[in-house]
Amino acid sequence: MTRWPEPALVSKLEDPSLNTVDMTVNIGPQHPATHGVFRMVLTIDGEMVVDCEPYIGYLHRGLEKLSENNDYRQAMGYWDRTDYLAGMACEAAYCYAVEKISGVTVPERAEYIRVIMAELSRINSHFMFLGAFGADVGSFGTSFVYAWRERERIYDFFEEVAGDRMFPTYIKIGGVAMDLPDNFESRVRWLLGSINQGLEDLDGLLTGNEIFVERCRDLAPMTAERAIALGITGPVLRATGIPWDIRKAEPYGVYDRLKFDIPVGRQGDIFDRFFVRLSEMYQSTRIIEQCLDQMPGGLVLNPDLPKTLRIDNAEAYFRYEGTKGEYGVYAMARGGNKPYRMKLRSPSFCNLSALREMVVGTYVADAIIILGSLDIVLGEVDK
Amino acid sequence: MTFGDPFFGYSWLDAIIRVVIVVLVMTVFVMYWTYGERKLVARMQMRLGPMRTGPYGLLQAIADSLKLIAKEDIRPAAADRWVFEFAPYLTFIPVLMVLAVLPFAQDWGVRNLSMGLFYVFAVLGLNIVGIMMAGLGSGNKFALLGGVRAAGQMVSYEIPLVMSLLSVAMIAGTLDLDAIAAMQHYRPFILLQPLAFLIFFTAMLSELHRAPFDIPVAESEISGGYFVEYSGIRWSMFQLTEYASMIAWSVFGSVIFLGGWEYPKGGDWGWGWQLTLTLIKSVVWIAAIIWVRTTVPRLRIDQLMAFCWKVLLPLALVQLLMNGFILVYDWPQELLFVTSGLGAALLVGIIIARAIRRPKKTSGLVGTYRQVQGTPV
Amino acid sequence: MTQEQTLPYPVGQQVPNASLGAMIQRLLPKVPVEIGETKTDLDVTVAPEHLFALVQGLRDAKDLKFDFLRNITGVDLVESMALKYAFYSFTHGHALQVTVPTEAGHPHVPSLVSLYPAADWHEREAHEMFGFVFDGHPNLKNLLLEEDLHIHPLLKAHPLQKADIKQGIEDSSAGFTF
Repeated sequence: MTRWPEPALVSKLEDPSLNTVDMTVNIGPQHPATHGVFRMVLTIDGEMVVDCEPYIGYLHRGLEKLSENNDYRQAMGYWDRTDYLAGMACEAAYCYAVEKISGVTVPERAEYIRVIMAELSRINSHFMFLGAFGADVGSFGTSFVYAWRERERIYDFFEEVAGDRMFPTYIKIGGVAMDLPDNFESRVRWLLGSINQGLEDLDGLLTGNEIFVERCRDLAPMTAERAIALGITGPVLRATGIPWDIRKAEPYGVYDRLKFDIPVGRQGDIFDRFFVRLSEMYQSTRIIEQCLDQMPGGLVLNPDLPKTLRIDNAEAYFRYEGTKGEYGVYAMARGGNKPYRMKLRSPSFCNLSALREMVVGTYVADAIIILGSLDIVLGEVDK
Repeated sequence: MTFGDPFFGYSWLDAIIRVVIVVLVMTVFVMYWTYGERKLVARMQMRLGPMRTGPYGLLQAIADSLKLIAKEDIRPAAADRWVFEFAPYLTFIPVLMVLAVLPFAQDWGVRNLSMGLFYVFAVLGLNIVGIMMAGLGSGNKFALLGGVRAAGQMVSYEIPLVMSLLSVAMIAGTLDLDAIAAMQHYRPFILLQPLAFLIFFTAMLSELHRAPFDIPVAESEISGGYFVEYSGIRWSMFQLTEYASMIAWSVFGSVIFLGGWEYPKGGDWGWGWQLTLTLIKSVVWIAAIIWVRTTVPRLRIDQLMAFCWKVLLPLALVQLLMNGFILVYDWPQELLFVTSGLGAALLVGIIIARAIRRPKKTSGLVGTYRQVQGTPV
Repeated sequence: MTQEQTLPYPVGQQVPNASLGAMIQRLLPKVPVEIGETKTDLDVTVAPEHLFALVQGLRDAKDLKFDFLRNITGVDLVESMALKYAFYSFTHGHALQVTVPTEAGHPHVPSLVSLYPAADWHEREAHEMFGFVFDGHPNLKNLLLEEDLHIHPLLKAHPLQKADIKQGIEDSSAGFTF
């Protein structure tokens, strides 16, 4: 590292005492606000961001290559490590995609279990967002700890059901790995009550806070047309006012039997994104309650599954409403027990590609919370 | 012997002894106050805080100090050596100098200056030099940003701060801290000047870089600001400065507004009660700072400046003017409370009104918040 | 928010796949396409030179209005390579896959960044993973891999675990070979 400002840079200016120099600040890959190993190079003029260049790939693990080289069931373990805040949802997306190309059917009870697990994962992931976003805006970890209490309870519950907290590989092709524990229903209802309580706590801490609202409102607004053109999906798209949710638009599983609303924002600014996520969590609890009421008995795993899954020529692009947006899985089979090509269309990746457009022209402090409001998970961005 | 007389008859020996006592007590207090803060924050965040080191984690403060002293002192290759190494001391010395005039009880201070109030904010304003030095000398862009932010913020907030202190000084008619405290025998000045108290508290948070004004040290943005490159003993100097100045400000503020060692019954019940009063008031004061810190997020730099120049400064000026009228024409002192109370209500009202303001419609904007001129977006 | 929302877009696919294919051929007669079907969507195969015209038609025709580019997937079919574009229409609620087979040894495809800004990172990813060249892309450099690493890991010819990492203490210089 040379001395700053570099002499060459200064001598370039005609009158160094009058002109100002744009400064390049490297935020990440090790920086508390980047939620993992993400790097953005900001060019700043004083406190204003003039340019932003995101760099990703620090967590690239070759998910697609590994999937191609593993059995359909072996590859599962890599997929719940993409969106590691909602492992169950990712497993479900992968299984749905493989079931699409193989034609394997899923028992009804397993479908309901998948929905419950996916919605709990969604709540889990959004709690993480609320907590981390509060920390980004600067509330000294209070929101973080509030969110963590509920997250721990959800993880404990996952452990009871599946035996693992974050990456359970519980959902299997053709159903789920094992049936639910006996006290399942009462346990989930207790959990939902606790989640609602935690949500109200966080709601009271953040939403009513004058400084929080002042920081988020009218920041980086986005029109619906622009958001669609940029490929933005999920809560960030819904904040612009479009109630587009794959669970409604192209329903999969048993979502067409469940009643829920799609919360939308007004102008796509940071506050709307925050509020859409908050409202979505209440809707998720609604979905889970309906699932508990409708839950049928029976098997949880298709009994006719072959020992080794072999799939002939087929391809499918399965889209799943992940926690961050459209979690698309492109699956292609050309015979054999391994997928020929698996591609993840990760919502964080696509939302992040719009970062530059949102960040330019704001303050440095805003750039941090805009990044936070996209709610990226680096495991998913970098695959 | 009363405490006001010099020890051993020699003025210089007396000064040294008093300075040593104050510094030692303050250091121990800082050590344990970091523990207290962690426990308090933990309570507010539904955690336990430090529990492992000693019973209830009581030895944590000592363990932390030992670790900081033993840690390697790293100086980045790009740093400007002397500026970098002297910056922590230059931040710490002004705080130490302020401690010399604070009255912890009647005559319990190192020295009582007749210009004490003036001296305090004149000297406390100096530690910006050290912070700027740390920011510039570290050879780090985050540190530079933090240093510049700190400079802008502290210089701006000093103005409403001084205004609010002046309005109290006008009523008291003196700058002597001991005399100001003694004057609050029947009622603390916060009752006469609630607006000045609010302005003082806000500006003090800003001077201390405490939330919601912790912009110069914002962890989530510039990861520590001006002390990002410091480690070990030098970093602990910054930490010491932060807590020592918190103590200094709290004692100072409670002398000015809360009656210091005098209210209630301080003059009657002797120095034991006076010291207890000072301790209680400063602990409550610091706890309030920490309470604010755990509750509110951070402001942005332009909002911070706007709040200072558009809200605090006009209110402080108007209050100063009203005080002048009331005191010159010898109107009843209750009017001071009425005018200042109205001002305080206005300040709180402004904040509440802004919080419940409905969002504006900005559908015309595409993607960007503010277009930077001449920059392709 | 307890009663059911009314949605401004049609739920589920509105036009059946067969008639969607016929509609594309009717509305875009100049573009030679082959209509097929995957397990989820209609599949339209088009040559790289006609891709841009097709996509422009898909985006702008009033009855099609594919305003959302979901995904770009590269596939290495060993003898040649192909790209799979997934489109969606928010207006009509229908989805489509466009397959673009490229000639062996000449993986050039027109870039869609001017039509869909979303294509930017997808194309960069396909470029680094497979070596596709998107003509007209403003910033075609590595995205997930290191900037100076010119390998295409998702090609079938690329080994899974044969990387030989040199730390510079062996005879050769630091780096890695495959």
